[in-house]
Amino acid sequence: MEWAVEANNLTKLFGDIRALDGMSFKVEEGEIFGLIGPNGAGKTTALRIVSALILPTSGSVVIFGRDVVREASEIRKLISYLPEEAGAYKNLSGFEYLQFMGRFSSENKEDLNEKVADAVEISGLGDRLKDKVKTYSKGMKRRLLVARALMTKPKLCVLDEPTSGLDVLHSYHVRNIIKEYVQKHDVTVLLSSHNMLEVEYLCERVALINRGKIVAEGSPTELKTKYKATNLEEVFAEVAGLA
Amino acid sequence: MLKGLGNVVVKEVKELVRDPKILIGMIIIPLLLFPLMGLAVRISTESAVESAKKISVGVMNQDVRGNFSLDLIDFLRMSSITVVNIETTNETEAVKLVQESNMTAFIIIPADFSYNITNDLGAKLKVYVVFRGTGFAESAGSTTITTLVDAFGKIIALEKVGQNPNMLNPISLLQQSIVKGRVVAVTPSVLFGLVMSQYIGMPIGIMMLTVFAMQIAATSVASEKEEKTLETLLTMPTSRFNILVGKLAGSVIVAAVGALAYVIGFNYYMGSFTAAFPTQAGVDLATLGLAPTMLSFIVLGASLFVTLVSALALAIVISSFAEDVRSAQTTVGYLYFLLFIPMFFTMYSDIGSLPMSLRIILLAIPYTHPMLAARAAFTEDYTTAVFGIAYVSIFTVVVLYIAAKIFTTEKILTMKLRLRRRRPKREE
Repeated sequence: MEWAVEANNLTKLFGDIRALDGMSFKVEEGEIFGLIGPNGAGKTTALRIVSALILPTSGSVVIFGRDVVREASEIRKLISYLPEEAGAYKNLSGFEYLQFMGRFSSENKEDLNEKVADAVEISGLGDRLKDKVKTYSKGMKRRLLVARALMTKPKLCVLDEPTSGLDVLHSYHVRNIIKEYVQKHDVTVLLSSHNMLEVEYLCERVALINRGKIVAEGSPTELKTKYKATNLEEVFAEVAGLA
Repeated sequence: MLKGLGNVVVKEVKELVRDPKILIGMIIIPLLLFPLMGLAVRISTESAVESAKKISVGVMNQDVRGNFSLDLIDFLRMSSITVVNIETTNETEAVKLVQESNMTAFIIIPADFSYNITNDLGAKLKVYVVFRGTGFAESAGSTTITTLVDAFGKIIALEKVGQNPNMLNPISLLQQSIVKGRVVAVTPSVLFGLVMSQYIGMPIGIMMLTVFAMQIAATSVASEKEEKTLETLLTMPTSRFNILVGKLAGSVIVAAVGALAYVIGFNYYMGSFTAAFPTQAGVDLATLGLAPTMLSFIVLGASLFVTLVSALALAIVISSFAEDVRSAQTTVGYLYFLLFIPMFFTMYSDIGSLPMSLRIILLAIPYTHPMLAARAAFTEDYTTAVFGIAYVSIFTVVVLYIAAKIFTTEKILTMKLRLRRRRPKREE
């Protein structure tokens, strides 16, 4: 079976700091897989390696049979990455931003128009897309960025804290966008979050990370049953030795 | 459809031009500032010329019975000078009186003035010019008085020597200049003044253009970091080199527009001087072979281009370390001394006449070379200019290589430099 993502024994050192310490996980094609853990656990570092932004100190990541280090330019054609603290160009309009980002992966004008039309629908921002990004609220900006990440129908969508810093309403909207889009277009999603409720709602399978290592893996139901917990927060407290 | 490089260039230009700081600071201000400065020069020189016509001079005539003193006063009056008779005989009191009035100057005609002239003993005039620190008008007033007294002196001399001006000027100079092997009937000082007035702007222009471009390139990279857009951009399916070159090209285009605005404004400013002081008109640099030729334009263009690319690449390398725009611009600002030093040396001296050690230091600075290339139009020293292009090209390749290395590795995301003022800790 070909895995969408296959991370083997990943290690990443930043000077003396060991951000990842032998992390391994596998993501099936078409599923939403969540990396959960507290701040500083190594989620963002893992996602940056998967997205070919930074190199692992040791270990490997293979995405749809391609190695992220050796075939980085091919990987960029397969994935779409949404960083946790992403921004958009403030002096462009939302529409111009979508066009600019869409052009990189579009074959022709029709293809681009189709992608942008999809993004317009996903974002739900309507006429506000004509306004400059600097006039957007945080929630609007995040919706624009999620739409940008999904519009290319990537084989793998990497979302780092997709609802980071959003209020309840915007979080709800963004979560629904992701869920509906994945079901409709058969996209594989690898996301990170420290919001356990969000992960339970979105993900088919999750990996719990602590100090750069995976401490538990499985579907939210399996994990809750295994650790006799009512939610993933309790599971995490149990496996991280905090309970 | 624009993809990859073209897409990045278009986006860069849009983003930069729409940034109010860049639009106002680098395009609108030079367009307005220089014409306004020119207008100020024009208005003040015109008013100086006007006020020179209305010069008022106090005269204390102690030579009341002498003819020459009365002739001098008449001569001044005929030359549109308002002559005010100073009644007092006390010099200190008279000085105070002139200072408090609006008179430009105060002349004391001594009692022996006419006697000394008549007997060829050499007469003396005492002239006090009031210094009020008001600019051109004052100096124009003082010059007018000197010129008129000189002219009056000549009239007397001519009367004495029998109307033959050659007696006064037994030798006169016919100064000519040799320009590129050709003799032209223009004095070297006029020629020098003309060349300087038209070309002093060149090193300043080159320096300004490079500073613009470096600021823009630094802003372009640092704002991607500050606005958190770089990470996303680097995951796009295009080569990192395309992103780097796109940023360079975008910065060059915007800097060129800024430079054009600067040149238009500066031209107007220089034009204000030539309009105010038209003494050097009538000499055409092109006919003297001193105007830039096509070859000199090509050499200057090539030199400027490689220097700009190297400056931009250097700004990108440096701003890659910065986390925000302010830190990037401050850090890039440290390089400006490398532009100011060659600018002053090329403006005020000939590099060839400097001590060897200083010459080596100046030639090692890449930004000296376009300024030397700008001089090639006059010096015809194309060898130095071409050597400069080759040297700067090598420097550019090295810096571009470093920039590309930074862009193609994770260093672009992980390198950090933040300049922050230390704030005193708040007391709990």
